[in-house]
Amino acid sequence: MSTQTHFDPSRRAFLGATAGGTALTIAGLPSQALARINAPHDPEKLKETTEVFGFCDMCYWRCGLKIRSRDGKAVKIDGNPEHPNNWGVVCGKGNAGLMVAYAPNRLKHPMKRVGKRGEGKWKQISWDEALDTTAKELLKVKKKYGPQALALIGHGSWEKPYHRLAHAFGTPNTTSPVFGLCCGPRGLSNMMIMGRNLTGNETLDLENCKYFLMMGRNITESLHNGETLGWVNGVANGAKVVYFDPRYSITASKADEYYAIRPLTDHAFLLAMINVVINEELYDKQFIAEYVVGFDELKQRVQKYTPEWAEPITEVPAKDIRRLAKEMAAKAPSVFVYSPRRLTRSSNDFGTGMSITILNTLFGVWGRKGGVFTPQKYKVPEIDLPEFEHATALRNDSGGDFNYEQPEIPLAHIQDESGKYHRADGAGVMGRWPIANAQYGLTNEMWRAMAEQKPYPIRALITAGGNGFLNSTNYDIIRKALETVDFYVAGDVIPNEMNMYADILLPEASYLERYDDLQVGGAREGYVAVRMPAMKPLHDTRDAWTICKQLADRMELGAYFPHDSIKELLDDRLKKAGSSLAEIEKVGILKIPADPAKNFPLDHGGKLKIKTPGGSTKAELIPGMLKQMGYDKALDYVEQVRPNEDEFHMTFGRIGFHTHARTQDNVWTADLMRENVLWIHPEPATKRGIKEGDLVKVTDRKGRDGEIKAKVTARIRKDTIFMVHGFGHWDKRMTTAYGQGVADSDLASYAVDPHVGSMSMGLSLVKVEKV
Amino acid sequence: MTKKYVMLADTVRCINCKACVVACRAEWETPMGYTRDWVKEVEWVQNDQPKVMLFPGRCQHCDDAPCIEACPSGAAYKRADGLVLQDNCICSGCELCVPACPYEARWLNPVTNTISKCTFCQPRIDKGLEPACVQTCVGRALIFGDMNDQESEVSKLLKEKEWVRLTTDEVNIGPNHYYYTAGEALPDEVMPKLHDRHLSGKTMEIVNPIGAIAIGGMLLTFLGAGVMKLIGRRNEVSTSENQEEK
Repeated sequence: MSTQTHFDPSRRAFLGATAGGTALTIAGLPSQALARINAPHDPEKLKETTEVFGFCDMCYWRCGLKIRSRDGKAVKIDGNPEHPNNWGVVCGKGNAGLMVAYAPNRLKHPMKRVGKRGEGKWKQISWDEALDTTAKELLKVKKKYGPQALALIGHGSWEKPYHRLAHAFGTPNTTSPVFGLCCGPRGLSNMMIMGRNLTGNETLDLENCKYFLMMGRNITESLHNGETLGWVNGVANGAKVVYFDPRYSITASKADEYYAIRPLTDHAFLLAMINVVINEELYDKQFIAEYVVGFDELKQRVQKYTPEWAEPITEVPAKDIRRLAKEMAAKAPSVFVYSPRRLTRSSNDFGTGMSITILNTLFGVWGRKGGVFTPQKYKVPEIDLPEFEHATALRNDSGGDFNYEQPEIPLAHIQDESGKYHRADGAGVMGRWPIANAQYGLTNEMWRAMAEQKPYPIRALITAGGNGFLNSTNYDIIRKALETVDFYVAGDVIPNEMNMYADILLPEASYLERYDDLQVGGAREGYVAVRMPAMKPLHDTRDAWTICKQLADRMELGAYFPHDSIKELLDDRLKKAGSSLAEIEKVGILKIPADPAKNFPLDHGGKLKIKTPGGSTKAELIPGMLKQMGYDKALDYVEQVRPNEDEFHMTFGRIGFHTHARTQDNVWTADLMRENVLWIHPEPATKRGIKEGDLVKVTDRKGRDGEIKAKVTARIRKDTIFMVHGFGHWDKRMTTAYGQGVADSDLASYAVDPHVGSMSMGLSLVKVEKV
Repeated sequence: MTKKYVMLADTVRCINCKACVVACRAEWETPMGYTRDWVKEVEWVQNDQPKVMLFPGRCQHCDDAPCIEACPSGAAYKRADGLVLQDNCICSGCELCVPACPYEARWLNPVTNTISKCTFCQPRIDKGLEPACVQTCVGRALIFGDMNDQESEVSKLLKEKEWVRLTTDEVNIGPNHYYYTAGEALPDEVMPKLHDRHLSGKTMEIVNPIGAIAIGGMLLTFLGAGVMKLIGRRNEVSTSENQEEK
């Protein structure tokens, strides 16, 4: 590479023109030095790099990447402009992904526990020993208790091979937190009513939307690049934003109207909106007539939920509720009622989620420009595999997508007629959590099953990424589960509080050092994208597929991993899709172009295809399947907990440059924010003598507590406190994150949504005092 | 025609995700604790309502850059296209330019012991690429280009919307960084401020001659070490360049 030097005449001029100020500098310099100074300037250089494609692992949106490498090391992460998840942009977390690979605290070698569980004493071992031990221990459990005694919890874009391994092993007990701890109630709401999923990568025509009613969807901070950019474009195109949140987030600062709604009462507001939309005939009559059943029954049921009823509950003025309903109707169908990403908050999230789906359906947003588009799928067949023991455990996933393509028929008992075990967490099991998704399961209930050894023994645990403590809320249950199982093996890139309990630690290569299975997604375009290694592994690590294949081979399950390498697997899948690994590696992503006629069928003379889990070909405003079970009562409002005068609602959420509990030890994101603080309104703060930066103690009704610095701000309700999620790590291996801030997860509630089985994390009430 | 590079920041589109900050860090390997760009989150209460504004910032590449004037070694210089750049090979690390900048865009890199600052990604733009912060900006809040090119996006945007610059009666030095705030007044927190330690030409005139001499003496002493350092570094560079050629 030639060194680019720019001869710039203006610099010489500078030396003369500003001589007055700098004469002192020149005077007395030897002529050799003067000549040196007068040489052309030597500014910074752009060093040469090579480029490979990938997709991000810093959050669960999975943006397309182009990774630049130099001398065999990844040096810069750029966005892939062709990828519909991000169109070339990458957020702060995505840019900081380099520091996952270069993290000083990474898990670098296979290790076995030598101290007590959770004590953090380790011995470095070989891969052979780690895999032999793991296979031996898993087989021991299988022999003694049966294959169902194994649980797998996965959380990451590389968890898929672990699920396959567990399914091949014969257990139905595989789970990811995405359902029970995050999006379950909203995914289920759309599924039950519309037969659509609408979570994972949201299929919203954001750019053309004209009215966003955002129920705590903090899209600028709980951010997904493509989605956020689409929303920002929509706003720039003139969309109105009405934002509801007890906290004035950055999204609130972008809104045309902001309501500091009383915590946990979104459902009441939404029911009142439905009431107005129906009674004032603001709905899309043609859409309702053609595509919807249950309208009259719904009309009856929401009569009592007037705006005047909702006003004292929500603190949103009745006149505003009426006005917002009319405003939205005027812009429909280019409108959207935006659910929060995580809907595991109140004691009736399912009702909240259904109300959102109902409102969107009344406005006829489905398959319409500015509303919800119908995605296209790039068809990439799975490889041919032997049958799995538990068909219910299978999931049609693409590296972790939340996907309800095959809704499960609720199952009857713990064992079916042929004696096969149903899920221990009760997901999809009649009499327990029949409507919970059986492909993703209820991670919270799986922990409970392990801790209590009910309904049957779970004696072995595999985790693939994730952090059971900080992403859940009931530490006693998690700890007990981790201490109870006979054998626990953890695969991960970084250390954390959960994998600290492992018997065997399997260090995963970071997402910059490996291939992974394909990313198959559905946007306006259908697409399949590849993850390629940008460098060789820095440490003695392996990728999930290789680890799982090597474990499978040791357990006589090799038939489920028939390829010699992951590259062969990718090539096999891509050839079935009419391409090849060599071809996709050149471009990173293969796409079917967007097709307005397919994305927006109702705007192009087409029809909407609906099929609900209850078998209806029309949207069911009150799903028949739920009525059969009596679960339609979730539509009705349930009173929520209220703080006493000296208490606060405990809320938590995201900031744009940290993801969940997994970036606090990343040195680049930690440099932006090392610890979380407690947001408290000036009025209650003054009452308690709390000033900005003071250390305060926050205690919940169960007596759990933590000490944290205060941020005194008018950006939060007087009866509510807030903290950013994911801090307060206590694993000493995380030298950057250790002891910084407070773990909101240890203060959030662990009640359970009565219909879905997902967690209700927002019910916690806390006291705050100055330390 | 000569280029005139400008950066536009649409504060309405900025979401404070820090993509620009981290992208810059990765691109230019800035040491921990230091960044060439930033996003300021300013919050206040107005009519009982909280307000938040976001200001992405960096070197403003001023037309009348006081840092250049303050630089005794000639390391700080302005290119014809408006970029204010820093020549690391002759920067002595004396830090006189640091307080000269009213936008606090300059800092001493403790690893290289030279001054670091935003260059509008000069090496990237010279290759036809966008600055790293612009390329990665999630809200597409940052827009960069040549305002002398009537067809450029920045030219069009500058005509379309009301853009403001961070200037005050006291500090008005022709910054080439524009902001769109949808009519909101600029908060004091983001406005440029004269630094007490700044020894501009103007200050020299105001202080008495004896003071000026004293300052001159101080500068000389300061530079004694610096000059030797820069000669050494220049020699180092030419040696390494020669080696590269071989």
